[in-house]
Amino acid sequence: MSGSGPTPAQRLTLDRLADVLVPEGRNMPAASAVGVSEGLLDRFLDAAPALAGPLLSLLDEAPAEGLEAFVRHLASQRHGDFGVLSTTVVGAYFLSAEVRRLIGYPGQQPNPLSVASEPDYLDMLERVYERHPGYRECS
Amino acid sequence: MAIFSKVYYFNMVTQGHQSHVLIIGAGASGSVAAARLAAAGFDVVCLEQGDWVGPADYMSAQPEAELAWIERWNPDPNARRGLADYPLTGNADVRPVMYNGVGGGLVQWAAMWQPMLASDFRVHTLDGIADDWPIGWGDLAECYAQVARDMSVSGLGGDPAMPEMDPYPNPPIPIGKIGRVAAEGMDRLGWHWWPGANAIASRRHGNLQACQRRGTCMTGCPENAKATPSLTHWPSAQAAGARLVTGARVAGIPVDERGRVRGAIYLDRDGVEHFQPAQVVMLAANAVGTARLLLLSASSRFPDGLANSSGLVGRRLMQHPYRTVTVVCEDPLDSWQGPWGQVIYSLEFAETHPDRDFVRGAKWMVMPHGGPMFAAAEYQEAHRHDGFEAVWGANFHRAADEVFGRAFTWGIQAEDLPEDDNRVTLDPTMCDSSGLPAAHVEYRVSENTRRMLDFNVARAVEAAEASGAVSTLVRDVWPTGIGHVLGTTRMGNDPQTSVVDRWCRAHDVPNLYVIDGGVFVTGGSANPTATIMANALRVTDHLIEARASQEIPA
Repeated sequence: MSGSGPTPAQRLTLDRLADVLVPEGRNMPAASAVGVSEGLLDRFLDAAPALAGPLLSLLDEAPAEGLEAFVRHLASQRHGDFGVLSTTVVGAYFLSAEVRRLIGYPGQQPNPLSVASEPDYLDMLERVYERHPGYRECS
Repeated sequence: MAIFSKVYYFNMVTQGHQSHVLIIGAGASGSVAAARLAAAGFDVVCLEQGDWVGPADYMSAQPEAELAWIERWNPDPNARRGLADYPLTGNADVRPVMYNGVGGGLVQWAAMWQPMLASDFRVHTLDGIADDWPIGWGDLAECYAQVARDMSVSGLGGDPAMPEMDPYPNPPIPIGKIGRVAAEGMDRLGWHWWPGANAIASRRHGNLQACQRRGTCMTGCPENAKATPSLTHWPSAQAAGARLVTGARVAGIPVDERGRVRGAIYLDRDGVEHFQPAQVVMLAANAVGTARLLLLSASSRFPDGLANSSGLVGRRLMQHPYRTVTVVCEDPLDSWQGPWGQVIYSLEFAETHPDRDFVRGAKWMVMPHGGPMFAAAEYQEAHRHDGFEAVWGANFHRAADEVFGRAFTWGIQAEDLPEDDNRVTLDPTMCDSSGLPAAHVEYRVSENTRRMLDFNVARAVEAAEASGAVSTLVRDVWPTGIGHVLGTTRMGNDPQTSVVDRWCRAHDVPNLYVIDGGVFVTGGSANPTATIMANALRVTDHLIEARASQEIPA
């Protein structure tokens, strides 16, 4: 991540905003509980550095009270800014190893193909062939 | 070795040595031409404004793979803002996407391999709309087979909706859980489906490794299992002597006093101007980039842009407007796993039908559904009119709980017909980082296309229900395109109504060729890469064969 990175105050604000979007529920932890404002945020901004400036500006702008209203205002009136915040929160949240474990997501891992066996769909394909009128002839 | 009869040099300090053929763009079509020409002994130079990319550049093997879409590997150049990208301005219902680098759009493509329908070349004759192509399916048949071999395509022949084709070089990729569920739905309805063909190696083939199902095809395959010209064409092209100059942004194509092109002026990464002389120039910069270059190359002889006596350069842009129906199932499908090509496709609604309120049709394809971030984004988009509570707060976790890993997508791409007002021009004020005018794109989705998509989406929901879906997520027309840019320099026999002839040579300039998707007369509904590459091969072979009669600059 370029620059000095988020300040402790900005990270605290992000935690509070993030929990408006992603609270605890359905046996899943809240965003702040998995550390979206900490190392996950740094990893996120390393991958998406152009969002750092707009995000930090947004965190500085957030009021001390009434954060839920602030988030709702962004969602309804400032779509670009809401996109920065929500993309950051969701992106950082799903980087969490704990979250991935809970939803059963191993990441985009290699898993070799097996093409050795005969496909199990040939009966269905036979029916496609039998009922299809053939392609449209043109001279 | 003098292929053509004359060789001329210009007295510019920064000029390169004369080439027989200069290709502008190292993507799908330019790579085919370069490999073929070099193998035939031609002196070939290719100018590419981007760079080489490969597994070391991709984020696909990192835990952050899903974040690659946001910036570095965003397909939209306006969002990606890479050094080689040029801005796209204008008001477009669908904004074109592209990649600028060695391989072009095939760096980020999903590798779906779909020859056009036979009827796609005869839409005026068959359906009374748009125009026929000056060539037919049979003119491309052998080239389709050759480029499929070159691209290590994995697929199953025998689709009754298509003319007979040579077998693909690799067996089809298994359709997996998602393909099976989708195919069962189509089977219950009695609708057409077929295992997808993809330029993804199901086994080691050529320079490609076997697919590892990582599912990051469109942000770069770290296993080199997906075909892209840096693997499939450039190694042989360079071994045969073709020279590829990267970081070379073409600024103009000058002509001699007889109106023959002389080569190209380009700017290197430091902004230094060079002249690359050539006897023949082939434009392969995609339908947006090529139109932009022709318009940039206006001169006193060609005041409206090079090769533009018809006034059609930049017009008739087609993009395959795209909608999706995400099919959410009860059982886990592990649907973050790849490959992210097409596991099955359907041409059930690809042809005109007299009972429908639109002409032509759409192609469908089943794809996986990505990781949890993609699932959340799809869920949010599908519910964007349902208010904040529908997707945030207590309901946020529904996407991961109900959709992630249990869904697949029916992608529906519509054949949009050519319209003069859907066009690329030069932006009057905005420029790229080299000071060249940006591409200004005006594009509207027609009423015919909207009806076509509405109809197909409704059928896809029926297919989802027949597959046992517990719910569907339906999206409107995607505002960013799917990388299919076609039609801005159409092919035809009449110089007044087309830009290039049936051999893709400019009517106005006998040593200038356009070989990218701009030459498409109509777009069909098939993913266009197979046809772009096959046509580039057809045209290049003709150039080689007709070398003795090729006119060159004075």
